[in-house]
Formats: sequence, structure tokens, C-alpha cells
Amino acid sequence: MEKVLSFFGRPLVNIVEVAGHMALLFYSTIKLVFKKPFRTKLLLKQIEFIGANSMSVIILTGSFTGMVFAFQSYIGFHKFGADQLVGTVVALAMARELGPVLSAIMVAARAGSAITAEIGTMKVTEQVDALNAMAVDPVHYLFVPRILAGLIVMPMLNAVTVFFGIVGGYLVSIKVLGINKTLYLDYMYTYIDFEDFANGMIKSVVFGGVVTLVGCYKGFMTRGGAEGVGRATTESVVMACVLILIFDYILTAFMF
Amino acid sequence: MEYAIECFDLHKSFGTHKIHKGIDLKIVKGAITYIIGPSGTGKSVLLKQLCGLMSPTKGKVIVNGQDITVMKPEELVNMRKTFGILFQNAALFDSMNVYENVAFPLVEHTKLPKNKIDAIVAEKLRLVGLSNIEEKMPSELSGGMRKRVGLARAIALEPEIMLYDEPTTGLDPIMCDVVDNLINDTQKQLGITSIVISHDIESTLKIADYIAMLYDGKVVLYGTAEDFKTTDNPYVKQFFSASKEGPIKIM
Repeated sequence: MEKVLSFFGRPLVNIVEVAGHMALLFYSTIKLVFKKPFRTKLLLKQIEFIGANSMSVIILTGSFTGMVFAFQSYIGFHKFGADQLVGTVVALAMARELGPVLSAIMVAARAGSAITAEIGTMKVTEQVDALNAMAVDPVHYLFVPRILAGLIVMPMLNAVTVFFGIVGGYLVSIKVLGINKTLYLDYMYTYIDFEDFANGMIKSVVFGGVVTLVGCYKGFMTRGGAEGVGRATTESVVMACVLILIFDYILTAFMF
Repeated sequence: MEYAIECFDLHKSFGTHKIHKGIDLKIVKGAITYIIGPSGTGKSVLLKQLCGLMSPTKGKVIVNGQDITVMKPEELVNMRKTFGILFQNAALFDSMNVYENVAFPLVEHTKLPKNKIDAIVAEKLRLVGLSNIEEKMPSELSGGMRKRVGLARAIALEPEIMLYDEPTTGLDPIMCDVVDNLINDTQKQLGITSIVISHDIESTLKIADYIAMLYDGKVVLYGTAEDFKTTDNPYVKQFFSASKEGPIKIM
């Protein structure tokens, strides 16, 4: 009986502990955002790193997703003779779902992992202790610029993903599948609302926070040399991706 | 005698593993105190507790008359400005060059104009015997140079108490001597309290005003270098003679 309880209980306790720890860290980060000194230079550096440097990956992800989606939805719609609806479906899916989720997963893989590796290395080489020793709060110095940058940059990356997804879908539909251009655009304008884009934007702000918070948290908790940094980096990407999908469901259910 | 730091009945455990089992130690103000002992006796952990980077499981640490174990996080952050710490591997920020590393505490805690900071950085680097390396990255420096840059950074804000975590470990004998002299000179020029963690018996006896030896979570002997040379304490004798025969168990 004891074994069964501990088998199910221990992971549950761990999850609750990690969730609590992360929530507290997020709370103290948000509190520290308004505390001087404002490290504008560090914030801009992170915006460049998380945002500008992710641009090529994001453009590729957006365009190819849009292109593939146009092909796949065409198969279904063609059977009903509703080819012109492909544009509407591509735009709807990109704006509400694929844009925010895919851009966040790409950023988790590219920038979230790098954040964990950087902070993790600082942790195991005593650089975090050195910050503390010099009376500089590591949460203020390391977390605030990264998490703030995530919150600012993620919606912008989402917009780029959605835009290129729609462009990709359009090119495939018109140039390859030969769908009527006027009808395609007309249907898309009629059935897509501002609300669809707004939903995606709200999601991507949350995902931006999740990816950078997980990256910082996993880095900060790193123990045990190079191997520890490697393990933390992997865990950071996995945890961020899983949390993105979970939060995606929660947000979708709320905004349905 | 005036004390910079006093600790009373200090206990520290990690899980079930007891590191410190009641340490009483007083660090004399304005003197160099060496903390020695075999590896794994918690010397670095003790150092981190003295400056509030780690909190003890039980016991008190008094710095300049204030108990730092009951301080709020903000008070603790302010209190840490009293300390300069040279970490074992210097802990330089590897994303910053030498200049930015040494200037870091000045930029963070003072409102000095850039030319003043430049002058202080140059002066501190000169003090540790380095010049014209401001633009170099930490990865381009040798172990000895990194330690000296770490020392320049630690003394940038002119702390009252300087902590050194194994400053000579991993250095060649000549560089060891250079670092020993640096500790001595820093002490003389700035008149600060220094605490040094070391395995190096030769430098300990040469520089220390006071020595404390740790073993099995306690202080086995505290005294001057002279006391340590003449003591009959079996732990100290074994450690100084570098013998594996004696009361110190090899872990």
C-alpha cells in the first residue's frame, strides 16, 4: 500500500512543488519589473536574441505550415466543391492556433533552451553566486529582462508566423492548386474577424511568458556541472512544449 | 579585541548529511584568518554562510554586530556590500570582457561617471598586477590572470571584509606566491579583514595572522601560526605532515 501511494504520490508532490516554485518566481519577477534600476540595454539584448534572431526560423515555420495546410485542406474541400474556402481555413487555423503554438514551440527550442544553458552554466560556475555576492539580485538581473522580452516579442513573432502562413497558403492555393483568386480572398475577408487574431495574440503573450519563465527556472535550478546543464536544457524544452500545449487548451476553452 | 564576524553553534545539513556540527568561530577585525582542513569538511559552505549566501540550519552569524541569519532578503542584499568574494574559479561573467567584469559592481551600486569608473578599473587592475587586458574576454585568460581579475572585481567597491575561496588551488608555485603576496598586499593597503580558505600549508603559515582548522563539522584548533607550528593536536599534526596515518579519516 505504502509503495503504491509513494509511486503515485511522489510525482504529484514534485509537480505541485515545481508549479508552486515557478509561480512564486514569476510573482517576484513581475514585482521586480517595476524596481530600479531598469536594465534597458539587457532588455534590448534579449529582445534581439529571442525576437530578431528567431525571425528566419519563424518565417520558415509560418510559410511551410501555411503551404502544407493549404494542400491538406484542399483535399477535403475539393470533394464538396468548396475550394475557395481553403483560404478561410488556413487563415483561421494560423491566427487562432498554429501561429501562436508553433512560434512558441520554435522559440522554446531555439531561445528557451539557450536561456537555460546560459543561466545553468552561470549557476554551476558560481557566476550566480557572484551576482548575489555583489549584492545584485539574480532574479532582477537575469529573469526580468528575459521574461519581459518574451512577453513583448512573442506576439510579434506570432504576427510574423500568421502573416507568412497566410501568404504561403495563398501562393499554394492560387499558383499550384489553381483556386479562383477573387473568391479565395473574398471568402477569407468575409469569415475572418479581428477577434480571431486577438485570440492568437493573447495566447502568444502567455506562451512568451511560459517559455522564458521555464527557461530561467530550469537554468536557475541546475546542479552538477556540464551534465547538469545538458539535462536542464533538455528538461526545459520538454517542459516548455508540454506547458504550451496545456495552456493552449485552457486558453482555447476560455476564449471559445 | 574587535571582531568582524562571530559565529555561534553553527549547524548546517544537506538532507540527512550533516556538514557542520556546531562551529564557534570569531574572525578578528583587520587580520588575515585562514580556514584550513581536508577536502569535504565544508570550508566553502562555511564561507558562504559567513556572508549570507547560504543560511545555516541552526546557529547565529554576527557581522559587524548584526545577526545576518534573521535578516530580511533586502537587508541581506545590502549587508553583502560589506563583503568582497574571490570565488574558487574566479566566477568571472563570461559574457563580459575584463573591463565590464571589474566595472560591474561600480555600475550596479554607484552613480559614478564613466571616466571615474575607468580610472578605478585601471587602478584595481594595476593593484593586482595586470594592465592592458581590459578588452580581453575571460576565456582568453590563464587561471592566474582570471583569479587576479576576480580579485580586482571583488575589491572594486573597497569591501570591509574580503573572502577568498581556495585562491591558490590549481596554480603553479610561482603564481601561488604572486596570489599570496596579493592577499597580503591587499590586506596591508586597504586595511581590511581577510578570510582565506586554503589547503596550502606553506602559504597559510607564511601569511595567516590566525588559523582555524575544521574537521568533522567542528573547529579542531584555532590560534596563531605559531600555535599551529608547536601544537600537539593530532589532527593538525597529521594534516601538516600530509600523512594518511592519524585520526583524519580519508573520504
